[in-house]
Amino acid sequence: MRPAVALAGLVVALVASAMLGVLAGAVAVDPRDVLAALIGRADAPTAAIILELRLPRVIAAALVGGALGVAGALLQGLLRNPLADPYVTGTSAGAALGSVAAVAAGGPALLTPLAAFVGALGSVAVIWRLARIGGRTTVLTVLLAGIVISSFAGAGVTLLIVASDRLSLRLRAVLDVLVGGVTSRGSAELVVAAAIVAIATVLALALARRLDAYAFGEETAATLGVDTEDTTRSVLVVTALLTGAAVALAGLVSFVGLVIPHALRPLVGARHVVLVPACLLGGATALVLADLGARIALAPAELPVGVITGLVGAPFFLLVLARSARSGA
Amino acid sequence: MRHVLVALALLLSAACGSAPASIPVPTPSASPSPTVVTDFQGRSVQLPRSVERIVSIGASNTEFLFALGAGERVVGVDDFSDEPPAALKKEKVGGVKVNLEKVTSLRPDLIVTIKFSDGTIERLAAVGAVVLVVDPQGLGDVARSATLIGQAVGADGQKLADDITRRLQAVKERAATITAKPRVFHEVDATDPAKPFTVGPGSFVHDLIELAGGVNVAARAASPYPQLSAEELVRSDPEVIVLADADYGVTPEQVAARPGWSGIAAVRTKRVYGMSANLVSRPGPRVGEAAEAYAKLLHPAVFR
Repeated sequence: MRPAVALAGLVVALVASAMLGVLAGAVAVDPRDVLAALIGRADAPTAAIILELRLPRVIAAALVGGALGVAGALLQGLLRNPLADPYVTGTSAGAALGSVAAVAAGGPALLTPLAAFVGALGSVAVIWRLARIGGRTTVLTVLLAGIVISSFAGAGVTLLIVASDRLSLRLRAVLDVLVGGVTSRGSAELVVAAAIVAIATVLALALARRLDAYAFGEETAATLGVDTEDTTRSVLVVTALLTGAAVALAGLVSFVGLVIPHALRPLVGARHVVLVPACLLGGATALVLADLGARIALAPAELPVGVITGLVGAPFFLLVLARSARSGA
Repeated sequence: MRHVLVALALLLSAACGSAPASIPVPTPSASPSPTVVTDFQGRSVQLPRSVERIVSIGASNTEFLFALGAGERVVGVDDFSDEPPAALKKEKVGGVKVNLEKVTSLRPDLIVTIKFSDGTIERLAAVGAVVLVVDPQGLGDVARSATLIGQAVGADGQKLADDITRRLQAVKERAATITAKPRVFHEVDATDPAKPFTVGPGSFVHDLIELAGGVNVAARAASPYPQLSAEELVRSDPEVIVLADADYGVTPEQVAARPGWSGIAAVRTKRVYGMSANLVSRPGPRVGEAAEAYAKLLHPAVFR
């Protein structure tokens, strides 16, 4: 019963943070007018501001945070590594390289999530290969591989910027990709991202049982009758789907995938069938709030949301690192 | 700190002022005394007596040099210099970053450049050429640029400056008779349509809008090239949108399709116009032409 209560609490938190997100913005809108806009009774400019600019931004933030939260839970379960998340493993960087390449090539906007997925899949596959060298995955190998992949992808992004007029004239926009920023998106992009996140979450739930078996090591999982080869491949693809969707929408948002599963495990337990939906809701709530902070911290200027998640997430990462070093992982 | 600096400057100028008795005054002769000018960075620049090889950095500077008849003597330009067409045939010396080796290899005796804050100016000076910083921002700087570059290359910059001023004045006087001034949004870049870049006070395009009889919706922005949030834009409801990013493929149809933009007056009444960045994004000698083009968009019945 307790997980159900926790999940219900997370739903309430998400709804509350979304309401806050819609209330705050670049121009002041009376809360009553916000309500009027939401039920379709506001004047045209107010309706456009609330329904076409603010609400899509809140939805984008929720999708990105939810996707990263679930991806973090999957990676931590698969690698049995408390420090794994899409950002530190370089999965996000691979996705960013893919999405910047898509923009540089001048492809349609809807191609970006696909290119980001391909980039994420490439990175996560390399991580997996490297992490298995010597038969066991250590915290250190995963982190080092993540650093290497991130620098490689970063160099690739820089190369594209210098080589492409399209990008060099739009340095600011590319910077937003690299630091991570949520913006108002068109409904087509949001629908595509929402569909990817929904499908990936369902797949993650389907993998939950098998991932639980990984907690005791891959070999133990195999003796429990889990097809580890197939499971691993599925988890990597689902992680890449989620990371690609998140990066295509908001660039490199750091540490959400790391912090959220950690914060929620004490609350809902380690069983993935509960942890995955909890991370979806918790990640969504966290990023909606982080984006709200990014909008109001230095108003009227906006911070990229990655600045907020980095400032909060990096110290958290160090705490977990210190703890896992003490426990001798 | 500032007071100390001011006091120091006063002392220095006083010292200079008291000195002339001891300095021999050069008598005017066939070879004129070297001209010392103050450039846009506040540097005192002693102009060379004759200029044969010029490197131009900044699209507006290149246009000025060609307009002043010094195009033949230009040996190198930066990557953004695309006007007049003859400039495209010159050697390229880099874009956002200037290639110092390339500049050196061109053996210039004069380098006219826009401002840089990353030490490029100092490194260019080390090349051995005279470096003149010309970086017009507001409309008022354009005539001064023409005069300064004219002085540097021995051409009649004053005449070009007067021509530009006269053309701007003509637009201004005609626009002044118009009472209905449309609200204008000038789009510099909207890669992120939620936070488009536009022009604010201090930029010459802002001056152009006001001169051509429009009201810039970003008139209260704090910087010359601010980002406006789409929320503020929807609220300010511009009647005319000018796309200075049309060269990058931005079209009125795309603008109408952006989230939240479809209800804006300019979009509803189809007054969204593309404008060549090449004409309207640089404070060069064709700024009078840009003012006329802008006025035609804003007041098609008056400016034909």
